[in-house]
Amino acid sequence: MDVLTPRSLEQALRLKAERPDAVPIQGGTDVMVELNFDRARPAALLNLNEVAELRGWSRQNGRVWLGSGLTYAEAMERPLAEALPALAEAARTVGGPQIRNRGTIGGNLGTASPAGDALPPLLVCGAEVKIASVRGERIVPLPDFVVGPKRNVLAEDELILGVSVGGTESRQTFMKVGPRNAMVIAVVSLAVRVDGDLRAAFGSAGPVPTLVRAGLGDVDSFPQRVAEAASPIDDVRGTASYRRHALRILTRRALDRCLV
Amino acid sequence: MARLIRTEKEVEGRYEEVWIVVDEDALDRWPAGPLTTVGQRVPRVDGLARARGQALFTADLQLPGMLHTAVLRSPYARARVISIDLEPARSAFGVRAVIGPADLDQLTDEPGYVGHAVAAVAADTFGQAQAAAERIVVEWDVLEPLLDADEAVRQESFVSDVANYERGDFERGLGGADVVVEAEYRTQVVVHNSLETHQAVCHWEDDGITIYISTQYIWGIRASMADHLGLPPDKVRVICHAMGGGFGAKNSPGDYTPIAAELAKRTARPVRCALTRREENVAAGNRNATIQRLTAAATTDGTLVALGGDFVNAVGYSGWSATTEGPMKMLYACDNVRTTQYPAKLNLPPMAAFRAPGFVEGTFGLECLLDELAVKLGIDPLELRRMNYADSDRTDDRPFSSKNLAECYRRAEPHWAKRDEVRARSRGPWKHGIGLASQIWYGGGGPPSYAWIRVGSDGRAQVVTAMQDIGTGTRTAMAQIAAEELGIPLDHVQVSLGDSARGPFASISAGSSTVPSMGPAVRSAAADAKRQIIEIAAQRFHLEERVLDLRDGQIVSTDGGSWPLTEVTGLLESGQILGQGARGPNPAGMQVLTFGVQVAEVAVDVETGEVRVDKIVAIHDVGRVINALGAESQVEGGIIQGIGHTLSEERIDDPATGSILSRTLDAYRMPTIADVPEIVSELVDIPDEHLTNLGSKGLGEPPIIPVAAAIANAIRDATGAEIRSLPITREEMLRALREAEAREKERRGAAAAV
Ligand SMILES: Cc1cc2nc3c(=O)[nH]c(=O)nc-3n(C[C@H](O)[C@H](O)[C@H](O)COP(=O)(O)OP(=O)(O)OC[C@H]3O[C@@H](n4cnc5c(N)ncnc54)[C@H](O)[C@@H]3O)c2cc1C
Repeated sequence: MDVLTPRSLEQALRLKAERPDAVPIQGGTDVMVELNFDRARPAALLNLNEVAELRGWSRQNGRVWLGSGLTYAEAMERPLAEALPALAEAARTVGGPQIRNRGTIGGNLGTASPAGDALPPLLVCGAEVKIASVRGERIVPLPDFVVGPKRNVLAEDELILGVSVGGTESRQTFMKVGPRNAMVIAVVSLAVRVDGDLRAAFGSAGPVPTLVRAGLGDVDSFPQRVAEAASPIDDVRGTASYRRHALRILTRRALDRCLV
Repeated sequence: MARLIRTEKEVEGRYEEVWIVVDEDALDRWPAGPLTTVGQRVPRVDGLARARGQALFTADLQLPGMLHTAVLRSPYARARVISIDLEPARSAFGVRAVIGPADLDQLTDEPGYVGHAVAAVAADTFGQAQAAAERIVVEWDVLEPLLDADEAVRQESFVSDVANYERGDFERGLGGADVVVEAEYRTQVVVHNSLETHQAVCHWEDDGITIYISTQYIWGIRASMADHLGLPPDKVRVICHAMGGGFGAKNSPGDYTPIAAELAKRTARPVRCALTRREENVAAGNRNATIQRLTAAATTDGTLVALGGDFVNAVGYSGWSATTEGPMKMLYACDNVRTTQYPAKLNLPPMAAFRAPGFVEGTFGLECLLDELAVKLGIDPLELRRMNYADSDRTDDRPFSSKNLAECYRRAEPHWAKRDEVRARSRGPWKHGIGLASQIWYGGGGPPSYAWIRVGSDGRAQVVTAMQDIGTGTRTAMAQIAAEELGIPLDHVQVSLGDSARGPFASISAGSSTVPSMGPAVRSAAADAKRQIIEIAAQRFHLEERVLDLRDGQIVSTDGGSWPLTEVTGLLESGQILGQGARGPNPAGMQVLTFGVQVAEVAVDVETGEVRVDKIVAIHDVGRVINALGAESQVEGGIIQGIGHTLSEERIDDPATGSILSRTLDAYRMPTIADVPEIVSELVDIPDEHLTNLGSKGLGEPPIIPVAAAIANAIRDATGAEIRSLPITREEMLRALREAEAREKERRGAAAAV
């Protein structure tokens, strides 16, 4: 297996164009699991850890820019945690400290799991994913980026540069139900944001993380609408009916938190 | 003098009549309470080595030329191998040997459960072995598996005889009752998931075999492998220096040891056979599921007049049937008890002993039912337990060697008295409550067990015994006992263990027996050495032996004389004092048991079904405590494992095929540190005056026993919901809440109709 380590974004995009079979790796907390369990044997890894352009976060034109290499540990720190509290709350629930130090937002988008914990908070904040290749850049709204369980719109020569999210301060929160208090893949997760309208996004309750919106007048019916928008399944983590039930309860509680 | 006796031997609640030769235990008892070293809080003597990664586990061992094994395991719960082609594996890169069903008894061509070993490959690396195993071509005839325990009972598919028990007259007792409660309880399959997976390295040398193995019983491995290989036992050397957990699943050689031995023989190389985490979740034993259909009946004054139960143990394809009915027979002074235990044989992976097998499951059923009864009787649950206190073992009317459960109850009172305060913490959807449950179990250990001790001219001692430290702190406890008896500092004692070729026979580390079996042998060896030192000192100082003693590293005389120990031992030069000790018999005609009570505080989110354990107070009576710190960590470990059993752990099987769906530590959910409540542990620490020169019983198992029932009872206290099934997932919690609500509605409806 080849490991390609570009030192700049330009180099990275060129390498990806030359070697479309190279699997990008950032924290490796998903990629290495695939390799260890022998579920994937890529011919090459494209190590993005040395690409400075993908790191960190900034404010740009009233929006917040998150580099695809932003780790959960970084998302938990102020002042970013104050700008995006739901994302910070979600980050705190991810894995254990080692995973939070390594795992990245870009990796969560790359994996595009229905249980990806960063995705619901990004969805309620109107995230747009910025994608690049040697052919140029494009911006895809997050709901259009994830197209199925563990599937996204990336072409084989493209990389995720990062996401930009609405920068205005708003009431928002994140909740996650798991069978224990740490190191869990969500049975169901939920982010809610109240800012001119009601927005909820859930994970682990359908093939893709899903955004539900309603007017401020619909507070009472919103929990039910969120539950109905879900299309959960029964699996080893929980039943479909429990997931729907939990979404209803969590949405109500999240609204209570955001509307005080 | 050595004495031949015929006696009952108990391990994990299983009895056997055996002949044994025992040495009398003539030592005076130490006074109760903490002594100089014994009873103190002592950090592990090998703690630093463990923290630094220096302790040598079987998993660490790298012998020159060692090969690695991959085992092909059946993907079907019940099948026949029509044909098997091992050639593609033999010709794979790095492969040194391949064996199939024709080559070894432990490999089968008629697998009876998913994970049953069929073939094995030894190769230079584990990866090569795995890749080669995948190339083995098997043609299967897949058969219909039997997976349902009740169905197995209907078909009379059993691993052993159905066990019936009755004392008094159950039906008559029931007839005279004022209040009767009946309920069905279910417990799930849980997996030990020790940090170190099951493994052995086999190495043929010196016309015998050396087996490095992660085991709880060096001598058991030696005996069964000698038998399996047709060797005299002394040609089998078994070594286990440090061990990463067993919890009952590592008492025997399993399939991996015979597989490694056979491959090592064929290749003339050392061979490791180590289970992967996935195999560990499938084929390394488990706590089997149970179904318990129970009845409890009492008169209005709280006297239990009848207890009865049908207990179905879903044992799996093989294994033994634990005494799930044990607590019902033993815990209370009920005159009329009837139990039936069905050992269901199924096409599921075999059980293995798991920390108080049977009693963990049976205590959940019995102690929950007792609380249901208490509610109906309107009697305080703690009072109800006191009212039915057993003063002797009601199964055969033997007196207890000691029983301080009443003292445990007394010490539980202040915690139990906080019920109103805890309930008043309820806010919004979070309901708080308190529950308690009692514990009864074995843990007396027994003979035979031996220890040697040698004291050198430097006045330091080495305890030599071929026992194992399974991670419970045995090295430390044994060093404390030797130091106490010899009157020397703890850091002047070394403990050499873990090698059947180096030291005498030692007991199994299972059934909470390590300290009660081995401790008295170590003390008697130390006493033997001390006697000799005093004999020499008496000659050296021209004093009578009876005026001399050893204390704080000094030889002291009653008239105030004092000499450093080395003044006498220094005379030895290269000579040594050799002490020898044996475990004496258990008290004749007495039942030796451990007792306790736990009080749990929980909070339940009645909307989401989340259960949070806030605190568990554990009060146990295990006789004299040797290491207060080590004992506390056993209590904490037992409670944490118990919380996993109660709330989150469950092996998930496909009900149609018997395939195991939870094979990783993601799918199989053990508690994390974020799930651990406040744990308060209190040990009664009253030596058992009839039991050995120590008066100590074991503590490995007791703390896990009452956890599930205490939590379930706290949930009832908080919400009125009756938990019937483990684990208490959010869904089980919501189901119980809905049922409680329906019951309450019905009751109110009935009341309104009157
Ligand atoms: C023990 C453990 C616990 C976990 N717990 C959680 C949890 O609680 N919640 C949760 O959501 N996840 C969890 N995960 C999964 C994982 O940590 C997250 O999905 C994480 O965000 C992945 O980030 P990464 O940087 O490690 O990704 P990597 O493994 O490096 O990559 C993940 C995927 O994204 C692709 N990729 C990465 N960067 C780019 C890029 N710039 N452009 C294009 N594609 C890219 C990769 O090719 C790969 O397909 C856990 C994982 C482990 C091992």
